[in-house]
Amino acid sequence: MTPTPTAPDGLGTLAGKAFAAYRAGERERLSELVDLVTPVLWSAARSQGGVPAACEDAIQTAFLQLVDRADSINEPAAVLGWLVVVVKREVWRLARGARREFGVEEVPEAPAQQLDPEAQSILSERQRVLWKHVSTLSPRCQELLRVIAFADRPDYAAIAESLGMPVGSIGPTRGRCLQKLRTTLGSDPGWAV
Amino acid sequence: MTSHTDAIDARDIANLAHVRDLFAHADPVPSDLAERIKFAITVHALHAEVAELIDSALLTTRGAEAAVEPTPTESVTFTAASMSLMVSSGPMDSDDSEDRVRVDGWVTTPGAKVEAVTSEGSSSAISDANGRFVLDDLPHGPVHFVVTDPGNDDTRPVITPTIQI
Repeated sequence: MTPTPTAPDGLGTLAGKAFAAYRAGERERLSELVDLVTPVLWSAARSQGGVPAACEDAIQTAFLQLVDRADSINEPAAVLGWLVVVVKREVWRLARGARREFGVEEVPEAPAQQLDPEAQSILSERQRVLWKHVSTLSPRCQELLRVIAFADRPDYAAIAESLGMPVGSIGPTRGRCLQKLRTTLGSDPGWAV
Repeated sequence: MTSHTDAIDARDIANLAHVRDLFAHADPVPSDLAERIKFAITVHALHAEVAELIDSALLTTRGAEAAVEPTPTESVTFTAASMSLMVSSGPMDSDDSEDRVRVDGWVTTPGAKVEAVTSEGSSSAISDANGRFVLDDLPHGPVHFVVTDPGNDDTRPVITPTIQI
């Protein structure tokens, strides 16, 4: 698949520029790419329900594959989407054991997002309210919002596509997931204050 | 009423910022993940062998006169299949460079090139016939060493885990 290059000025664009510079010989720019995209890759990995150690391995594997295949990647500008696809696939591969490789199309749907009790206990009152509402969304919407929240507006459409969402599920229009979040939060007097 | 076909507005962006804060707080990225990934990329790119940190001790070197305060020195030993490396760090000799670090080291390969990779870049030294080398004027902070043998192209580079000096 060829993810859509992102509009200017988003995280995806900055990542694309760093990667293009790396390919052109500025090897140190790879560190910049790692710093830029690790938070969004972490959310993409964790939103699949993988344990932290597996998520770390998946992200590391994705970067090593990127280094190995750097020269054969057609669209350096779309590197963020490429990494999201590989990370998601790796998390699922690790979760199932390395019994077989499977393609992007076979990657199952993300589960509903979970926060362990320890993590929930450190939330602020307002974050608890937000978590309650996020939990009512469909698992697919939870996954999408969790990942795009760590990117910038111009990246939403490309990231949604990398996650396997239908075109038009978000960006530049709001899409159903953001609309549902807006509606459910708006209907809660406890959130409005 | 708003619709899902409207353009994303400031309130949506604010909602997403709250979602971001929620997950960043409840499930933060491990603080050293990015650094570990960069290290793994370096090892991978060099096809290097990773040395194992086997010993770390705070040595105290005492001057000849008892009145002189002992100088604490961190001594660290790494080992890999093809070589071992011992490094100790201490302040520079001159008084006016307290924020710089001198690393004295010993490696089992004479004539090896020892490169110290720091936040400022890298500097290197060649070990003498006894395997000794000195790297001075290094900054405090994280450093890892890459050892190569210029006299033998068949050996893989050895890279050490990052330590603090």
